[in-house]
Amino acid sequence: MKAFANYHPAVLLVYFISVLGTVIFVSNPVLQITALLGGILFSLMLQKRSEIPGNIGFYTALFLMAAILNPMFSHNGVTPLFFLNGNPVTYEAIIRGIAIAVMIVGFLLWCKCYSEIMTSDKFLYLFGKAIPRFSLILAMILRFVPMFKRRWHSVKRAQKAMGFYSTKSYVDRIRNGIRVFSAMIAWTFENTLETSLSMKARGYGIKGRTNFTLFRFYAHDAGILNVCVLLAALTAVGSVVGEITFYYYPRITQLSLSPFAICVYVAFGALSFLPFFIEVKEALVWKYCVSKI
Amino acid sequence: MEILRIENLSFQYPQAEKKAVDGVSLAINSGEFVVVCGESGCGKTTLLKLLKKELSPVGEKSGSILYKGIPQEELDKRTSASEIGYVLQNPDNQLVTDKVWHELAFGLENLGVPTEIIRRRVGEMASYFGIQDWFRKKTDELSGGQKQLLNLAAVMVMQPKILILDEPTSQLDPIAASDFIATLQKLNRELGLTIILVEHRLEEVFPVANKILLMDQGKILLYDAPRELGQELRNIRSDHHMLLGLPSAVRIYNALNICDECPLTVKEGRDFLEKHFHEPDEQAVPAEYVHSDSIAVELEKVWFRYEKDLPDILRGTTLKVYQGEFYCILGGNGTGKTTTLNVVSGLNKAYRGKVLIDGKPIKSYKGNSLYRNNLAFLPQNPQTVFIKDSVREDFTEVLAGLDVPKSQRSERIQGVAERIGITHLLDKNPYDLSGGEQQKCAIAKILLLKPKIFLMDEPTKGLDAYSKHTLQCILEDLKREGITIIMVTHDVEFAAENADRCALFFDGEILSADIPTKFFSENNFYTTAANRMARQLWPSAVTCSQVVACCQEQVAQS
Amino acid sequence: MKKDILAILCIILLVVVVINGTNIQSVDEYYLTHIDDITPDSETVTISIRCNTILDNYDDLDPALRSEEFVPADGVILPPTKYVLRPGDTVFDILDRAVRYNKIQMEYQGADKNSFGSVYIQGIHYLYEFSCGPYSGWMYRVDGEFPNYGCSKYELKDGQVIEWIYTCNLGEDVGCIWMGDEES
Repeated sequence: MKAFANYHPAVLLVYFISVLGTVIFVSNPVLQITALLGGILFSLMLQKRSEIPGNIGFYTALFLMAAILNPMFSHNGVTPLFFLNGNPVTYEAIIRGIAIAVMIVGFLLWCKCYSEIMTSDKFLYLFGKAIPRFSLILAMILRFVPMFKRRWHSVKRAQKAMGFYSTKSYVDRIRNGIRVFSAMIAWTFENTLETSLSMKARGYGIKGRTNFTLFRFYAHDAGILNVCVLLAALTAVGSVVGEITFYYYPRITQLSLSPFAICVYVAFGALSFLPFFIEVKEALVWKYCVSKI
Repeated sequence: MEILRIENLSFQYPQAEKKAVDGVSLAINSGEFVVVCGESGCGKTTLLKLLKKELSPVGEKSGSILYKGIPQEELDKRTSASEIGYVLQNPDNQLVTDKVWHELAFGLENLGVPTEIIRRRVGEMASYFGIQDWFRKKTDELSGGQKQLLNLAAVMVMQPKILILDEPTSQLDPIAASDFIATLQKLNRELGLTIILVEHRLEEVFPVANKILLMDQGKILLYDAPRELGQELRNIRSDHHMLLGLPSAVRIYNALNICDECPLTVKEGRDFLEKHFHEPDEQAVPAEYVHSDSIAVELEKVWFRYEKDLPDILRGTTLKVYQGEFYCILGGNGTGKTTTLNVVSGLNKAYRGKVLIDGKPIKSYKGNSLYRNNLAFLPQNPQTVFIKDSVREDFTEVLAGLDVPKSQRSERIQGVAERIGITHLLDKNPYDLSGGEQQKCAIAKILLLKPKIFLMDEPTKGLDAYSKHTLQCILEDLKREGITIIMVTHDVEFAAENADRCALFFDGEILSADIPTKFFSENNFYTTAANRMARQLWPSAVTCSQVVACCQEQVAQS
Repeated sequence: MKKDILAILCIILLVVVVINGTNIQSVDEYYLTHIDDITPDSETVTISIRCNTILDNYDDLDPALRSEEFVPADGVILPPTKYVLRPGDTVFDILDRAVRYNKIQMEYQGADKNSFGSVYIQGIHYLYEFSCGPYSGWMYRVDGEFPNYGCSKYELKDGQVIEWIYTCNLGEDVGCIWMGDEES
């Protein structure tokens, strides 16, 4: 279920930048809702089935919170519904609250997809050439963190089985945490010492280090990149020209439905649902091939 | 062709009283497989590090090391890095990056090899080592054996001429360790790679090696082919510590004093025994097993899984350990042996079934009471037991936790330290100790808790033969005091020599539990090397000393 | 992590409710303000609200506000009007009464919410601070002078003239000399 993830990292980066950029900077309800729907569909494709109910709960709650909080703080708008402590709660503020909620949830969903798809090695590949030392350090950190976690866990268990602070009291737990942490520092020191030996033994520090990577730029990467850039450019032009500008305060403006605006909506819709289309296409191709075999 | 020559090499660490390496001279030919052994602290690791320029420790050095006739100091950085490969002990700490493919490429990246060539070489290495299935995985998701194999491949990708390995299998379980040794053998045989290996587990490397280098206190004690070595060692000193570490066949041969060629493998050992001995007229009947009536630990149909969606690890495990018994649980990797200990120690909670400690359900122990003068658990890595800067501080903290008055603390620490034999280690940092020393200190720390039940997870992992022997003595001592010991181990030899009862753990269940002589003589594969050699003649002889006793009895009769 | 985010939002919501209380009024209730009739012997003040400066800086104005509905063509939101001065009335009290009576939208930050210790007027008639450039906002003038303190601290006397003026340039364009820190 991750056909999209197999594209070249540069393509993926351009894609995510254009979608996330639009979500953050363009406040047109059509685009926001499209992005939200696209994000929902994309994250559903990436998630494990068991995670879905929990996530639905979280995002719904977050949505309601964001929608409720805005009218409590913002009192702008020409249509007061009632007054709360002398300040108006307006129709516009409520709509704006919902719009903000759509944006936040959409943004988070896209970020989640980003982190699922842009794994550390892709990130390293993109920025490694610019800053080689940094990319190695990052790879080492990524290597170290899970090891640290595992070690932390095993030291804690060892201490618990010796009867140290295995009570349920919070004070004891924090004390135990501090104790374990001090032990972890000694361990980290030893660990890095050995890692540096292993690096030296394999010639680290010799001049003229190169950066190896597994990624290659194929023709289909170029194709998708062109599509991405085209759609993103259309959206960008639309919003810069002001064709799809939309205001919530003081009065909600009329949604622009000019032919150009509709073009922009369609373009961004295509962009948001691109991973989904690719997934469907792959599935169809696969089915077709299999049926032929 | 001579590839490495060491001439009168000596090395002394700053502020050390003795030389770590003392006047070592030897020559290694291209394509040789040299196994270096010796007690811990004999200077093996220092010698090996001196051979690799980049890893040379700081200190006073004299003598010379010549690689292909070139003195080490004049060796080009690039040549030195790529042609002399070095694999360290800990599989985890050596890994530098987070992805398998990146780790493989790391050395070549350092040498500045272009991407296309790296791609080809990495691909070649991954295919040779069978890494292609986990090529794109994260290094953290690998098993210990896979990690060490990756470390080896990451060195091999630089196409070294000499491969130096410092106890590479000490952190691995026996199956992964055998695989690793087999891979080394393959490299040696198929590529003609020169290998210098430090190893404790001689059972497997002895038959494979061309030469064994035995070190003692920084000097070369012996440097000869394996077949001659065992005998020569006995001639030097009949009670030398290293004799304990030799393969079972060599040990039996040494004990018997028969003029014949020394056997190295199980097969040779069996031929040797059959040639010189015959089946006895009647087999000795093992004595009836006597145990106390009270049960220290009981599991009754216990079920456990780590998460709701994961499969069961324990599937109706039933287990009874009597008071004062030494109980060994054997079995393959990932079968749930350690999980069983975790359930007994209360770290993991069973979702079905009964866990009784001293006849009381484990749930009825509130707070710390389960661990206070009752049950103690020594985890697989003894390092995790320590969290202070010195062993003494750690011990003091234990006693403070037990509310022992200050005046009595140092006395009790001294008492335990003398008993285990670690008085000289008390003021050291736990991280500076060797594996065996850490193990001993960890046991001492746990003894301060005065447990009645002592759980141990793989305590012999990474220990040399003599440290194992010391551990054996400590455990015997504890048993005499009436402490119940439950041990999870892969080490069949250790279990056969020490356990009161052994049990095989498989598929979430304890399959059979019996005294070692019966347990191992009924197993065909899962048994000691000594038993595999002698089972035609004496099926119930399980340990080397038992086989030797049987042989000597026959010699005396005739 | 997720639970923490939700918990934090819940706490914010709760804190807001607790601090502000929940005094809910309908629109009609809110605008139903009692204005005392002016009698010959009642004390009075005059108040006006203007935003002329915006007309000169129309390019800086938030595009959403570029309409006669929000910025009247003559820049007058409330022409000078007389109101009865009740004992102890401050500039803010008069403003509050005037905008309620005329159903002009206003948003303010209560005296307890800021460091001035005085009510701060954020916006009148949908024109907010920063609506017309980064130096824009509301200021007030009493008898031609800009007081250097908050509008809920200024107690009025009979016959005084209050002007609420929108500035686009920290007061410079409306003749305020002390500049720098803002009004109210």
